[in-house]
Amino acid sequence: MTAISTLMRAPASPQRRILTGVLLALALALPAISGPYWTSQITQIYIFGLLALSVDLLLGQAGLFSLCHAAFFSVSAYTVAILQVRYAVPTVLAAPAGVLAGTLLGLLFGLAVRTRGVYFILVTLAMGYVIWGVGYRWSSFTGGDSGVTNVPAPAIGDLQVTTPTQFYYIVLAVMLLVMWWYSRLVQSPFGLALRGIKSGEDRMRSLGFDPARHLYAAFVLSALMASVAGVLYVYYNRFVNPVSSSLQVSVEASLMAIVGGSGTLLGPLIGSALVLGLRNWVSTFFELHLAVMGAVFIAVVIWRPGGVVGFIRRLVARKQS
Amino acid sequence: MHSFILQTINGISYAALLFLLASGFTLTFGLMRIVNMAHGGLYLFGGYVGLTVAKATGNFAFALLAGGAAAAVLGFISDRFLIRRAGEDHLSQVLITVGLTYIIGDVSLKIWGGDALKLPVPVWLRGVVELPGEIVYPTYRLFLIVVGIAVAAGLWLIYRRTQIGAAIRAGVDDREMVSATGIHVDRLFIMVSALASFLAGFSGVLGGAFLTVYPGAEWEILVFALVVVIVGGLGSLEGAMIGALIVGLLDAYGRWLAPELSYFVLFGPMAVLLLFRPRGLFGTANMT
Repeated sequence: MTAISTLMRAPASPQRRILTGVLLALALALPAISGPYWTSQITQIYIFGLLALSVDLLLGQAGLFSLCHAAFFSVSAYTVAILQVRYAVPTVLAAPAGVLAGTLLGLLFGLAVRTRGVYFILVTLAMGYVIWGVGYRWSSFTGGDSGVTNVPAPAIGDLQVTTPTQFYYIVLAVMLLVMWWYSRLVQSPFGLALRGIKSGEDRMRSLGFDPARHLYAAFVLSALMASVAGVLYVYYNRFVNPVSSSLQVSVEASLMAIVGGSGTLLGPLIGSALVLGLRNWVSTFFELHLAVMGAVFIAVVIWRPGGVVGFIRRLVARKQS
Repeated sequence: MHSFILQTINGISYAALLFLLASGFTLTFGLMRIVNMAHGGLYLFGGYVGLTVAKATGNFAFALLAGGAAAAVLGFISDRFLIRRAGEDHLSQVLITVGLTYIIGDVSLKIWGGDALKLPVPVWLRGVVELPGEIVYPTYRLFLIVVGIAVAAGLWLIYRRTQIGAAIRAGVDDREMVSATGIHVDRLFIMVSALASFLAGFSGVLGGAFLTVYPGAEWEILVFALVVVIVGGLGSLEGAMIGALIVGLLDAYGRWLAPELSYFVLFGPMAVLLLFRPRGLFGTANMT
């Protein structure tokens, strides 16, 4: 566990700098190497990686398993789409409004932190479903089944994003910014307190911490991250429909975090690549691809390898010893 | 006033259906600490099997039994070979049973197609009944209320008045003590789990006859059943009864008064409970 865990945690280590540099260079050069199709696929991986990271702020740091993150993601996407399409609001206002809407919903759904364990899972699942139901049934406002279509490309003044490559760089920049902020957050006293609550809530309480407040704050921040992903998602797809708020999105986001390595910075992103890659690949030749995804959930959970990042850490640790 | 009474009966009949599904969920959790999200999948599967049997034999009673039995077998197999492997970890249980629901849903879609299918019911259940106050009401939905009350009464009697029920209640409170007294907890687990799965499949057949069976029904009904359990309190049979009534009635009034926002009505009882009684009306402290 020594080498690579210091590599992931201690910010000053030279190995970490090299790894970061190599990954960054790869990410920057990617559109030039891969062509528009893969550029677009990887943009999608980044967006869902961000959503998975938002889920993992609760799961990996605070130990809360939320099944309502698709709601923040979707409400934010709907807000942007409705503002842009129906009211011709420019991107510079619509995008922040989307993030705000999703975060406000997070302030409301944050009530869920009054519960723990199974209750938290069930309550968040039901809350998420309420949003799906509203999107689906309130068709006069949300467009019902077909949702909101013809969302324009993001633009600042006359500058419009026209190619997949341009959009790729925007998503990359947002993702890196969020990841940088996230790594600072988890290393801060607040992040430490969250992990303390995860490993022993009563102990933290007796130390004078207020777990409920910390968890509420983490919940809202996590909703904020999911909302950012939602804004990117609607500009990526150029439409939004109730599928974006379905339970499947929430479940897949948590699966991404678990597959890639919960509690790590890169894990959710790696998980996003694996889950989306698998889904897109399987759906090209097998009709029952949802069943295959279900089987993958089960297999991953039963064998529980601690995610890809955990696996690499163990591998490196074995070589070093 | 007329529509209010009509909606109230609608709510009670939906409550009867929700209770059938939620009671299995809540008892499985109470006794075994297993969160089985596949209850919705078993509901769907039972509904489809019941549909096929009803079409082949023309007998609704056969359909009910076949739907229940098919779900019980599927539930038993998945419990033995998959869910057990998750151990006590609720996160793993949820992911495994959600995965299972995807498999059930997708395979059912392949077999039975994507259209909403209606289960045929016997002639004597097809008509309407005239209730006092000039209310004309579908016979089938009254039948559903009768079945719901009968099952609830049966379950309650078993749960409160028999030795098996006493063992189950003791198991909900403290499993180690129950096995220490020499009761085969494992046999108890199998019984409760099979009964819960049977009820899920059974309710799928009952529900399929008026809500139809369609892809996605597994999640829709599951969420309603979960809200019932959240409101009533995990592990409590009485909680499932009261919770089902609250959710069923609120849903009926919501659909009637604000059809587009009816799902939002579900959020109401949950929010109130979270503020005042986070463990539900009948929930106890050891249920987490």
